[in-house]
Amino acid sequence: MKQSEDNFKILKRYLRVYIKMATNSFVVWLARRSAFIIFLIGKIVRYSFYFGFLIFLVKSTNGFAGYTGNQILFFTATYVLIDTLAQFLFRSVYSFRQLVVSGDLDLVLVKPINPLFRSLFGGADPVDLITLPAIIFVVVYIGSLLSPTLLHTTYYILLVINGLVISASFHIAVLSLGIITMEIDHTVMIYRDLVSMGRLPIDIYKEPFKSLLTFIVPVGVMVTIPAKALIGLVGPVGVVSSLIFGLALLFFSIKFWHYALKKYTSASS
Amino acid sequence: MGKYLKVLGISFQQEFAYKLNFIMWRVRNVMQVLVFFFLWSSVFQNPDANYFGYNKEKIIAYAFLLIFVRAITMSSRSVDVAGIISNGELSNLLLKPINFFKYWITRDISSKFLNIIFSFVEITFLFLILKPEIFIQTNFINIMLFVASLLIASLIFFSIAMLTSFVPFWIPEISWGAQFLVIVIFVEFLSGAFFPLDVFPTLVQNILKFTPFPYLVFVPIQTYLGSQNIHLNLLSLGIGAMWAVILLFITKMVWQKGLKVYEAVGR
Amino acid sequence: MKKAIVVSHLIKNFEILEKGTGFKNSFASLLHPKKRIITAVNDLSFTIQEGELVGFIGPNGAGKTTTLKTLSGLLYPTSGFVSVMDFNPWEKSPDFLKQISLVMGQKNQLWWDLPAMESFELNKEIYEISNKEFEKNLNELVSLLGVSQFLQTQVRKLSLGQRMKMELIAALIYKPKVLFLDEPTIGLDLIAQQNLRDFIYQYNKKYNATIILTSHNMKDLIDLTRRVIVINDGRLIFDGALEDLTLKFAQDKLIKAKLSDEIDIKRLEEIGMVKKFEYPELIISVPRSTVAIAASELLQNYPISDLTIEELPIEEVISTVFKQSKGF
Repeated sequence: MKQSEDNFKILKRYLRVYIKMATNSFVVWLARRSAFIIFLIGKIVRYSFYFGFLIFLVKSTNGFAGYTGNQILFFTATYVLIDTLAQFLFRSVYSFRQLVVSGDLDLVLVKPINPLFRSLFGGADPVDLITLPAIIFVVVYIGSLLSPTLLHTTYYILLVINGLVISASFHIAVLSLGIITMEIDHTVMIYRDLVSMGRLPIDIYKEPFKSLLTFIVPVGVMVTIPAKALIGLVGPVGVVSSLIFGLALLFFSIKFWHYALKKYTSASS
Repeated sequence: MGKYLKVLGISFQQEFAYKLNFIMWRVRNVMQVLVFFFLWSSVFQNPDANYFGYNKEKIIAYAFLLIFVRAITMSSRSVDVAGIISNGELSNLLLKPINFFKYWITRDISSKFLNIIFSFVEITFLFLILKPEIFIQTNFINIMLFVASLLIASLIFFSIAMLTSFVPFWIPEISWGAQFLVIVIFVEFLSGAFFPLDVFPTLVQNILKFTPFPYLVFVPIQTYLGSQNIHLNLLSLGIGAMWAVILLFITKMVWQKGLKVYEAVGR
Repeated sequence: MKKAIVVSHLIKNFEILEKGTGFKNSFASLLHPKKRIITAVNDLSFTIQEGELVGFIGPNGAGKTTTLKTLSGLLYPTSGFVSVMDFNPWEKSPDFLKQISLVMGQKNQLWWDLPAMESFELNKEIYEISNKEFEKNLNELVSLLGVSQFLQTQVRKLSLGQRMKMELIAALIYKPKVLFLDEPTIGLDLIAQQNLRDFIYQYNKKYNATIILTSHNMKDLIDLTRRVIVINDGRLIFDGALEDLTLKFAQDKLIKAKLSDEIDIKRLEEIGMVKKFEYPELIISVPRSTVAIAASELLQNYPISDLTIEELPIEEVISTVFKQSKGF
């Protein structure tokens, strides 16, 4: 009884810290108002162009790679959803390098807050907060055109969350690698580019790229499988093994993080 | 002349000092082209298919040409100008008896040279692992026009990079934000670097012809593929050249205006 | 003598955006940005002769750097007239740029990732110096500053002091006739500061170079400059010899005395303000006009073995100057 009450208290404290960190990062963004507006416009224009292009493409070709036009659009919408959610949640990974190089990570480590929590969730991106409702609307709209069953929709939601877990694992791995090698910006960029290959069903890629996207950076499990589940192409076994895979990845990435922290030698020394 | 040769040399050394950045930039370029390649390969699964005026050989040629054309027109150091204006480093350059534009063109040339070499290596490498069937242009006139169109494209890109870099003169905190919007979003999508512009409905295509964007990537590749007759190619080339001249002129004007409001920020 | 620098009624305004703090205010300023004009330099006039070494002082934000940047052609004056070596700096003519150099203590022109030598060679080409002259200047500067062993080291691996010296070499390799030095000794250790001062002094003497130096380090000014220009809030408040600054602004003088016997400190307060009293040493500050009377009174009424009359230290004078002008 006592234990669970304590856990509840800790949870509340972390939630409060999270809200404070998020508000701070919003204020920082608002202070750079022109940059804020530019990035907002940028995201909107980019997605509109991309969907526009796909719509014109599938209209003329009636879909490809064995999928109908709407299905192709749904793969892309799912990618945008998971990618934007990940960007929104794990934004602070992008400023982590500065923390390591300057040695300010020391100051994070001495605080009575899990350093991984601080490094991963430290700065929510308000630009994404504005685009997310629109993206969710698009996903729901295109999804409804595919008239999925309730079961398949449940699979989809579970697997999207699983996609976020995989994305979190990757970000944790990138952070850990950053602690060890002091290099983070490029790893993040390469990761982003690889994930962006998931905006199309990974079936279109040929070897050796297909294996890379399936086994090394499992963009397939992260993005393609959720969309496939809604279309009805994934059975219960597929769903369960994807979830196990996601949890395993999370487990190993946290192990890696602890290993990295052990290896960490203060940059200022 | 000597001073620009020295700038060229030191610029090379600088690129080598940032080996990792350079290699990552190339990797990202190649990955973009790979997505293009696989997407279109699966669209053209049926070898006799013909969409948007392309057959399989030509669309694959488009993909491979993208690597080369991007290396020439879109690799540039002048995109750094936004940063040096907003952090005040521009002052160093202004204090020297050197022409600002010639300085950055020289640095662009060094960057382009390096990127072209790499693009050849990548094209060969991808060719060997993907073993695609590809269209090769043999008409000498098309190749000459292609070279000319690349020169025009480089000038247009240079002025776009400069103009977007000058925004921090007026809004210093924006840094490379304006550049992100114009180059990463508009140029990427409207130049034909992301997909052939033929995918757009005719109306959109016609509107785009009056903007400078298609002359960066789409027109050079069209010229190489010879999809249109020579007259149309020459016409596109002419409009591209006009854009280059207009944009360079505007660039110069905005530069002079910008200097007057330059606050030489920092200390 | 020739006039190297002429500044007449110079005004420079900046427009700044005001930003609120906190979530609500920053959201408000997102919608309604407030603009404000600040005057960094306000009706400033002075002339400097060729070969002069002038100290340019003022508190932070007084407009020193703005003035130097205007003189080197980086900023466009809002109004007023500026000329350096008979050029209008704004035009940035190559002949002008070859004669001037702006060195800022915390800015660098060196290529961070390459050895400093590469940057020097680039400057050799940019400033069109002959091989012979380059060699000569480089050897001279390198030996004056004692950095020959670091020429091939990547700039980012140099210490701050070494880097500052390399910056100076890059800035002086073409023998500019006019130097604007903005806080050149900032962040350097005491030995490096002294080296740099000696160097600046020699450069000025040897090439009859005109130098404007800003510094918060009073030692720089006392050692190097005879003439100082003091500005505050963009306005000129003093232009003249360093000694005259004391005469003009220090209303008090210091009497330092050595006592030969214990005395009652209370009674001393009638003569002047006691600044320090640690037997046997005594320091009293008295108004300039009554210093002679005060001194004789001391000698007559107290057991004093030694007495000197001194000016206030320059640091103190300058800080009073700034405190006073704040009230304007």
